[in-house]
This record gives sequence, structure tokens and C-alpha cells, in this order.
Amino acid sequence: MGKQNLAIIGTGEVPTGTFPERSQWDIIYETCITAVKDAGIHKNDVEAVVTVAPQAQPQITAEISFGKIPEELGLKGCRDVCICNAGGSSTSNCLRLAEQLIDSGKAKVVLIPHVTVHSTILLPDLINFFAKAGIDLQWEYPFGTTYNGIIAMMTRRYMHDSGTTEEQMASVVVSMRKWAALDPNSIFFNKAVPPVEKILSSGMVSSPLHKRECNVLADGGGAMVVTSAETAKKMGVPAAYKLAESSRYFSAFTTTRNNDDVLAGFRDATQEALNSAGISKEDINIWNMYLAYPVGHPMFMEAVGLCKPGEAGKAFMDGHTWPGGKWPWSTIGDAIGRGHTGSGVSMATYIETARQLMGKAGQRQVPGADYVFQNTSGGSGMNFIATIWGRNI
Amino acid sequence: METQKPIPVIQPWTEEFWKATKQHKFLIQHCSDCGSHIFFPKKVCPECWSENMDWIEAGGKAEVYTFTVMLDMVEPKFMADLPYVLAMVDLDEGIRMTTRIVNCKPEDVFIGMKVELAFQDVSPECSLPVFQPADPSLRISAPTDEETAAAVSEIEQLPNPQNYQTIQYEIGGKNNAVCTITLNRPDKYNAINRRMATELIDAFRRVREIPAVGVVVLTGAGKAFCTGGDLEIFPSLAEHQNSLNWLSHEGLDVQRAIASCEKVVICKINGHCLAGGLEVALACDLIYARASAKMGTTEINMGVLPGWGGTARLPRSMPIFRAREIIFSGRKDYSAEEMYAMGLLTRVFADDEFESKFEEIVNNIAAKKPIALRMGKEIMARSVDGCDIETALAVERNGIQWLTYAPDVQAVMDQFRAAPDQLTHQQKQRNIASDIK
Repeated sequence: MGKQNLAIIGTGEVPTGTFPERSQWDIIYETCITAVKDAGIHKNDVEAVVTVAPQAQPQITAEISFGKIPEELGLKGCRDVCICNAGGSSTSNCLRLAEQLIDSGKAKVVLIPHVTVHSTILLPDLINFFAKAGIDLQWEYPFGTTYNGIIAMMTRRYMHDSGTTEEQMASVVVSMRKWAALDPNSIFFNKAVPPVEKILSSGMVSSPLHKRECNVLADGGGAMVVTSAETAKKMGVPAAYKLAESSRYFSAFTTTRNNDDVLAGFRDATQEALNSAGISKEDINIWNMYLAYPVGHPMFMEAVGLCKPGEAGKAFMDGHTWPGGKWPWSTIGDAIGRGHTGSGVSMATYIETARQLMGKAGQRQVPGADYVFQNTSGGSGMNFIATIWGRNI
Repeated sequence: METQKPIPVIQPWTEEFWKATKQHKFLIQHCSDCGSHIFFPKKVCPECWSENMDWIEAGGKAEVYTFTVMLDMVEPKFMADLPYVLAMVDLDEGIRMTTRIVNCKPEDVFIGMKVELAFQDVSPECSLPVFQPADPSLRISAPTDEETAAAVSEIEQLPNPQNYQTIQYEIGGKNNAVCTITLNRPDKYNAINRRMATELIDAFRRVREIPAVGVVVLTGAGKAFCTGGDLEIFPSLAEHQNSLNWLSHEGLDVQRAIASCEKVVICKINGHCLAGGLEVALACDLIYARASAKMGTTEINMGVLPGWGGTARLPRSMPIFRAREIIFSGRKDYSAEEMYAMGLLTRVFADDEFESKFEEIVNNIAAKKPIALRMGKEIMARSVDGCDIETALAVERNGIQWLTYAPDVQAVMDQFRAAPDQLTHQQKQRNIASDIK
């Protein structure tokens, strides 16, 4: 077993979507109160609040940075606060900070919230933020890059190297949407899953990326309550135990990123985490991947050796990753199925990992889920954090 | 709104690089201690932390590692460039950079394509290093005669009923007196995009030239009449000029094409009729709605106001205290009955009898002489525009005098003079036919 000492014992979430009338503080109240109640603790048991930094929302970021959450929620037992920003991998780092606070005896229970409201940000500001985030202002941006554009380039190269067809790339989206259709907190909950042809007939945004292969920006939020593994055990409540973790940093920008390093990083960080947890990839019941666009999914599947290079697209097409398939994969449908909430998709994915292990995943529940692999990744793919979670310790 | 192209954010240790691009030279940073080629240039060598750095000039040859054709969802400042090819290229010196492929058709670019350095001036101080095909046959040269001819024929392909993509245009009914124009993007709830605006303008101007047509029916295919401007338009409105043009070119021209069409334009509303959709309806002469139709102006929910004539036309189309509520509330759920009670709309019919009632009304109006409908439309339009009563009465008097002496009315008068009884009988029949059955 690894040397981790952390368990998620409560979660709270609001539906993802466009709800301009629902304020950031509405979301913080609702998710935090739900998570604390779900954990079965008293609000004053929370001894620290470590918040995922909202992206592109300077005002709320400043308010949270300067300690407003414990005051607003009346967390009388809180001893300290901080905010943590590593883009899409922020939540992993909040968990690391929480674990350190808990392990060193500084806090017994830590609350980890996240909130994003995109719908009240002015459209030009939003386009501008996403045109520059993770994109170099000297060597990339002046040429007219966008997030979609850099991912499109990565996608074309992957398709070229692996022989993956556009139908197979579109079937990654189909797989994500199948899970999303079962998730009450997704923008696509209960919505018809578009077939491959419908995805490919949506407008081309940046070739070879079609509109339905890009993310929809949305509002959302979530919160988790975490404590030590022993405390969780003692409380006797359903919990998700952190078993292992490993990570790799690649580069800040796609231009300077070597594809072989990325594949090696996927493989090595995953293997290190599996070794540390004392299990093998065959033991994993759910691959809860957060990679934001379709291309990362087949790349990862091949890199860790779940299938041979060039065969991942087929695995997505054949339904191995769908509900009921042999590799339940991104069971909230990643950002493309959930709706993109900035750094919030990593929070949503952890909440889903916890739900699956606590047996609270509703229609998406994977029967007998003992081990969940979950990654996060920040910026334009700057890093890869591999974590393994278990139903028991 | 920024429309200026962004210039690179330069660091002190990259000034040399950008000075050189002005001379159309591409410099690669080189570490004198460990010999590394460095890109993006740094303050110290990222391999050995040496500060002993110099520059070497690149040969300008490279190969495409990957690329994308940018077609949509870019910042306003890059919209004028669409479509453009963004690429990562590997220089012979072993560095990879993001750039554009220029002077080449997007469909001719491929992974592994050999390319050569070129430069694009973005400001007096800055040139961007871009690449063009090494193979001159793949470069865009002066267009051939054939290409020029193709371009000309594309321009000649102005919208016409054979090539409409977003609307349908049909002439039918008794004596071919009815033209039906159908908004036809049912999967988008008939949202108005630039193409639809252009086609509507064409259709309403085209139908003016057809003397037999007295009535134009404007309706929507599928579940809705029209839900307003297509969201796909919105990103482009972030640019000030684009936004103004959408209002003053497409918007105003559509309203004018309908309002000055010289036919009686009858709007037939099924399902949702919102925002720009309601504004188009307001430019029509008569508005009939199914009881299940829902209406409203939602613009204020985005912090703006109806800009295709709605803010001006609603208060002229109904009592002003009610018009204000519609515009200020941003509600999209006004039922047809509610709108009728508030003073908008000509009539509302229950869903199950709507089609037959509507057809009856259209057939009745279409049976009138187009010339009388045209004159009536014009006189009423001038009159409600708010001129003084004496002017309005003069317009009316002279218009009707002109009508009376119009050739086809005089032909009737000849009959009258020859056989007064027969005409009286005929006129009675027509009067009866115009009443509700």
C-alpha cells in the first residue's frame, strides 16, 4: 500500500449549465452545505478551507483568497484558508494540501470547494481569456491560436501517427455523451446521444475538430469534505480512500511539448501510481479520465497499454468504454459531456470518483467498483497527475 | 473592442530576434557553452544555465509537423483572416515553432510538406515569421483566366429562389395571387443568419415584380416561426463595425424589404416567435397566430434591446404602456392570446382551426385587386407615420382618385355604364363573399 492518508467523506454539487441568475455565492453555499451534510459532520468540524481557484473570475478569486468562505458559511472551527491554482489540476493540489494539513495534525477535516460562473462573463472577455490561457503571448498567440486550434493540431498529428479515423475520434464523444446522458449534473443529462454521423456533420471549427468535438462553457460548482483515512474508517461512513499518486510535468505550451515525453509521462506516472497502490491496471474498475478534448483519451489508452497503438479509437467505437463496457471510462463524460467549468471539471471528476466508490453514482454506478483511476491535467496539457482511489483501505 | 492584431509580447532577451525579423531574418538562440539551439529564446540556457548565448541565422527550411485550418470561433481581431492555416513546423536546425502557412490553399497543406520562411508585417516594428510551400506549384500565384471566371460566376450567383438555402419561395393560390415565403431552418428554429437575411431581402424584392401577386404569406417551417438572430452570429458582433452592420445592413434591409414590398404581407405565426423573429413579424401588415404560439423580446436579458426595428415598432403597434412591458420584461412566454389582449396581433385562432381560418382570410384578401391592396398599404403606412390629418387626407384622396382611374378599375366602370343592374348584382356577391362564412 502507498503512504497516502486521505479520504473523501462528503460531496456536494450543483447542476452544470447556463444559469446566469445563480450567483457564485449561491453555488458556494449550496455545494458546501450539501457536502458537509453528506459527510455527516457539523459545520464547525471543518478546520480548514482549501479552494480551487476559479479561472477568468478575478473578483470571486480575490474574495476567496482573502478568506470569505469560512466567514460567509459561519465555519467557527476553521483555522486557516488558502486558494490553489494549477489550472485544471488545481483540485489535485487542493487534495494534496488538505492531506498535508490533516497528516501533520493541523486540521482534522478540510473543505474543498470550487465555483465557476461563465455565463455572466462578457463574451469578449471569455473569448480573450481562453485565447490566451496556456498559450504563449510571444510565440503562439500573435499567429491567431485558440484552444480549439492547438488541440486540433494535436489531434491531426495523433490521427496521422496512429491511423485513427475521424469516425473513431467522433466515437470518443459518443462514449462521453452516453455517460453524460445518465448524469443529472451534466448539461446533456437525458439528452439524446448524437451518433457519429451527427458529430461529423456539425460545423468544422478548426480542422479536424468539429463543433461537437469542442467543449461547451458552462457554470457549475462542487465541494468535497475530506479527512484522514483513520477518521473516515472510524466514522464508518462510505468513503473514497486515496491510495496512490504520481505526476509528470511536461511543458507550459504545446509548441514546446514533445509528444513522446507526454506518452512516456502518461505511462510512467500511471505505472508508478499502480505500483504504489499495490495493484495492476487489470484491477482498475473505472478509468475516470479528465482530458478535456477527445484526443487525450485514445492517446492515454494506448500509452498505458490497455490496447495496442492505433487501436484505441476502435475500442471507443466498439463500446468498451460505454456504460456496461469492460473499461467504464470518464463516467461523467469528461468536459465534453459535463460542460466545461474552467478548473471545475477536475472537481466534478473527483466527486464522481468518490460517488462511485461510495455507491452513490445512481444510474452510472459501476457495480463492484473497488478501484478508480483518476487523472487531472492543467493548462493546455502542462502536466499529468495520476491518482488511485479505493473503496477500502 | 480590440481589432488590432496582437503583436508579440517581447522580453529584453528576445528583442534581438524581433529586430532581425524586420530585416526578414530568422535568428535561433544558441548556447556557446553547451551548443544547444533554444526555442522559445530564454534569458539563460535552459540546458546548462549558461548566460553565454548568441544567435545564428536559420536557413529558413522547414517541414510541417501538424496543422489546422482555422474556420470558426476565433477572436474578432482574427476574423478577417478566416480561413487561415495554423501549423507547427520543424526547422532544419531542430527547433519546432507555431506559425502560419501562407500563400497556399488550405486544402493543399499536408503533414510532412516542405515549407520555406516568409514574413508578414503586423506593425511598423514587427514582422511575423510565417511559411509558404517550398514547391512553387503549390503557391497561390496570380489567378488563371479560369479561376477569374469561376470567381465572377460565384459573384453572379446572387441569391435566387433556385439557390435559396434558408428560405422557401412559392407562388400559388387562385390566379397565382399568393406568394408564400417560408423560413426554412427548422433544426435551428428558423434562427436568422446572414444567409437568411440576404435571401429574405432578395425574396421580398423579387415578389414586388410579380403583378399577379397581391398577398405574401411569411411563415416558418417546423415547430417555430423564428427565434431571432442565430447564436452563430453573436461572436462576430463582438466587433463594433460588424455589430453595427448586422443592425443597419441586414436588419434594416430586411425590414425595408418587407415594409416596402407593396404586397400585403401576412405573417403566420406557429410556435415561438421571439426577439428578431417578432421584429420581422412587426414589419408585416397583418399578424395571425396560433393560440399555442409564444412571443416576446429577450434582448434585454443580454443587456441590449431589440435592434431590428422592435424597439421602434412595438410602441407604434400597440398601446405604449403594454409595449414597454414586453421590451423591459424580456419575457419569452407571452401567449398569443395575451398578446392579442394587449393589442398586438390581428387575430388568434385555436390550433385545430387555425389552418382553415387562416386560409380563408388569405384567400379573401388575395381575391382583391393587387393594385388596391398596394395603394391601401401605402396610404395607411404614410398616415400612421404621424403626418398631420390634412396631409394624410390628401394622400388618401389623391391615391383613391388615382385608383379609380386605374385601367382595370375603369374597365369595370365601362361594364357599369353598359349594364348597371348586372354590376350591382356582381358587387353584392363580392361583398357577401368577403364576409365571414
